[in-house]
Amino acid sequence: MIKISELQKTYRTEEVETIALNRLSFEVKEGEFVSVMGPSGCGKSTLLNILGLLDDPDGGSFLFNGTEVAHFNERKRADLRKRNIGFVFQSFNLIDELTVFENVELPLIYLGVKGPERKQRVEVVLDKMQIMHRRNHYPQQLSGGQQQRVAVARAVVNNPKLILADEPTGNLDSSNGNEVMQLLTDLNEQGTTIIMVTHSEHDSRYSHRIIRMLDGQTVTENILV
Amino acid sequence: MLKNYLRIALRNLAKYKFISFINLFGLTVGLSCCLLILTYILHETSYDKYNRQAARIYRVTRSFNNKDGIVSLHLGAVAPPFGPLLQNDFPDIQKTTRILPMGNAPMRYEDKIFNEKELFCADTNFFSMFDVPVLKGNPQTALSDPFSILLTPDLARKYFGDADPMGKVIRMNNQFNLKVTGIFQPFPSATHMHPNVLISFNTLKDSAIYGENNLMTNWGNNAFYTYLLLPEHYPARSLEAQFPAFLDRRMHFPGAPADFKASKTTQLFLQPLTDIHLRSHLDEEIEENGDSSRVTIFGAIALFILLIACINYMNLSTARSALRAKEIGIRKVSGAVRQEIIVQFLSESILLSFVALLLAGALAWLTLPALNSVTGLELSIQTLLQIRVLLPLLLTPLIVGTLSGLYPAIFLSSFQPSKVLKGLLKVGSGNISFRKVLVVTQFAISIVLLISTAIVFQQLHYMQNTSLGFDKDHIVTLRYNNGLDNTYESFRNQLLQDPHIRQATRSSRIPSGRLLDEQGASTESGDSLRPVTADIKYLAVDHDFLSAYGIPIVAGRDFSRAYATDTTSYLLNVAATKALGIKTPQEMIGKNFAYAGVKGKVIGVMRDFNFESMHQAIVPLIMVMPPASQAGNSFGRISVKIAGNKDNIAAAIAHLEKTWKQYLPEVPFEYTFLDEHFEELYQSEQRQGILFTVFSGIAIFIACLGLLGLSAFSISQRLKEIGIRKVLGASTGGIVTLLSLDFLKLVAFAALIAFPIAWYAMHNWLRDFAYRIPIEWWVFAIAGILAATVALVTISIQALKAAVANPVKSLRSE
Repeated sequence: MIKISELQKTYRTEEVETIALNRLSFEVKEGEFVSVMGPSGCGKSTLLNILGLLDDPDGGSFLFNGTEVAHFNERKRADLRKRNIGFVFQSFNLIDELTVFENVELPLIYLGVKGPERKQRVEVVLDKMQIMHRRNHYPQQLSGGQQQRVAVARAVVNNPKLILADEPTGNLDSSNGNEVMQLLTDLNEQGTTIIMVTHSEHDSRYSHRIIRMLDGQTVTENILV
Repeated sequence: MLKNYLRIALRNLAKYKFISFINLFGLTVGLSCCLLILTYILHETSYDKYNRQAARIYRVTRSFNNKDGIVSLHLGAVAPPFGPLLQNDFPDIQKTTRILPMGNAPMRYEDKIFNEKELFCADTNFFSMFDVPVLKGNPQTALSDPFSILLTPDLARKYFGDADPMGKVIRMNNQFNLKVTGIFQPFPSATHMHPNVLISFNTLKDSAIYGENNLMTNWGNNAFYTYLLLPEHYPARSLEAQFPAFLDRRMHFPGAPADFKASKTTQLFLQPLTDIHLRSHLDEEIEENGDSSRVTIFGAIALFILLIACINYMNLSTARSALRAKEIGIRKVSGAVRQEIIVQFLSESILLSFVALLLAGALAWLTLPALNSVTGLELSIQTLLQIRVLLPLLLTPLIVGTLSGLYPAIFLSSFQPSKVLKGLLKVGSGNISFRKVLVVTQFAISIVLLISTAIVFQQLHYMQNTSLGFDKDHIVTLRYNNGLDNTYESFRNQLLQDPHIRQATRSSRIPSGRLLDEQGASTESGDSLRPVTADIKYLAVDHDFLSAYGIPIVAGRDFSRAYATDTTSYLLNVAATKALGIKTPQEMIGKNFAYAGVKGKVIGVMRDFNFESMHQAIVPLIMVMPPASQAGNSFGRISVKIAGNKDNIAAAIAHLEKTWKQYLPEVPFEYTFLDEHFEELYQSEQRQGILFTVFSGIAIFIACLGLLGLSAFSISQRLKEIGIRKVLGASTGGIVTLLSLDFLKLVAFAALIAFPIAWYAMHNWLRDFAYRIPIEWWVFAIAGILAATVALVTISIQALKAAVANPVKSLRSE
């Protein structure tokens, strides 16, 4: 599903040049659950941003379902993103001014789904995440675990082929963290490809494969299953 | 999608109440200023457009050249023969009509006597040119018979109550009877004339009044406003081009040389009816006109105030960008493209502008009466409710919303989700200098308005308080009535019996009026008299004018009852002697002089004084004293000088009224104070000053609101820095100074930009005044200091709050 080769990304300021990705190459097959681990600053987040089409690589190739997307323009990237990719963040990233229902509804709005269908699809996914009873609450009225469930609901409401999770349990206690990991595992079992950046060895054990990074490069790959 | 935008816009408005208030309040006040000024502009530009033929009607105006061939006088009215002759000579002219303002006159019906104002004689076809409904009588014939009169309904009711006014006879000026032949609807407020009474033009044909022959031959009495109706899209300029030949063909004077060409001394022009109110500032107008530059100035002020409000929105929205960054990031992650984000933010600003417009409409409606009472205008909010105004008006939120929202939208939509969602975005970074430019713009506009306000008031104060060269206090003026021609001396003596009345005098005009009357002068040159090239205006006075007005003689003597020959004696002002090339006034005394063909001697030279408003320079002036037999034709006013204090004035006026009623029982007693006339002269400047004050106050208020929001935000971003500085020993004063200095620098920079602009604008404005104040540097300094002080107070409120806060709190929260 995803094939990157020789991917490069460098951040420059006036005085410093930081190499975030250094000729990074790997492949993720459809239906896989991959964890990306490594110390802070090793390039995990940069990788996730590029995979999520939120950022451009400086060089190398990025094939998404066989299409080269490394140099797509913003409109094409946004289009590909909204149809295929869901995001889960460490800090949940829910819009404070929107209710649970409205937050989850957002990707469907940008996908152009009509109102009644949107309502039905959001309700199904909220039900699945067991937060239907909180549909009219605002994010700040929810616990961390509940907020992350809403974020997962939002990530999956448009039935993406790929979910990118950036330390999804980083802000949660272990019980809520486990619940979220279970949700991701369930989604994976239903066929969604998941790439997760994490610092947690515990969480990484939910995945099929662990890619360890250092200084923008892959150092090891552990296959767990 | 729009529902989603709307929802989040409303929730954001509710969440950030302070900033929303500043934005909404600023836009509302800005827009209501615009609506009020728009009402004024629409009123000013609507003059005479009620007339369906307005675009085809032209007024004939006439200019006069002096001996050097330079235009010395340009009148809005012309001599009576021009109307019929133009109609006769140019078949393209579809209609001509003339009106003659008759001023005020007492009218009597049975026992009711009133002094009526705005009396006009009008040609028979008047109503076919001016679209005013005739409510009773036949518009085609009501003005045809001599001694016919038409009234407005209010006047008819005043004289006849509920009885049918048609056919009733009113006695005018105790001289002749006029039969009511019609009732006409009053002219709308936006017209260049407002007759209350129309008298048939044919009345003038009566030899006792003006005379038919005089109407056909008098080229000197340029008091007849003459209007032409031209075919649609007719090139008026081509008609105008034929006027010189017309003048040469038609204007002849007995005794003129054979090669005399009238077009060398006078010209005729055509002035579109709809241009009269805003663009005509001729030497004689029916009413005081408006001014197109004033319309432009206030239009600009409206746009500036709106711009300041829009800048607040831009500034506060971009400053708060960090608060919306996460939302933008999430939207982009969820599939939004940049255009969608731009549309979202634009729809927010447009929505806010729309709400502001609705509130502004209500605010304008509430404040318009106050504006009307301050300015003396009669503006109506109805003006805005016409479809042609309302539709474009409803589009304003689109423009204002786009203007205020576009920059923030473009800025916010450029956020990269990968950065904002990681919290890597530096708050407000990158756009700080643009925000500074915006603050500088706001304050530069405010400072220009402050300086302008100060200079307008300085000039006003100067005009109202500078010595005019004569004593204008405690002078009561009355209209001279022919009924006093034979009894004036005894009337005056009786007035002077009251110890409070110091002097009484007659004159053709009184100070505060214009000096327009001019006839040829000749001065001694060797043994003969040679015509002078200078324009010398004249004033007919009696023996007591100079003493009543306290105008000193600098050489020779005043008119005196001791000299019977003084009716052929002349008094000149110093300006006239200078115009004649005389070095000292004394040299002029005893010289032979002729004015209007009457030979005599110069007996005195008086000091120069400002007869006209300070807009006009002092002109060469001659005073003549007509013989008693010509008093009725020469004098228009009586001036009575009262001695001393307010109590005296009441007693003196009581005596004046008693004497007036004794001598003129048929004429209502009406008087005015001379200083009121002078107040009126500067009324338009007074109004302009008030409006400037109001609008510059509003501008600086909105700018400060924005500064308040911006400083609050900027300080909240520096709480950690403030905390560290305090821990390291900074004092509260030191921190307030640190925080305020940044903004004060901007105000100082704004002042530097504002000063030359204000100087240039006010220098131009002052050019309209012959007597004007110098532009002083300290006005600029005070305006700058005032703006800085207001800004400092605004910022200090926030800065002080931050400086006295416990640093532990801010450091811990970081």
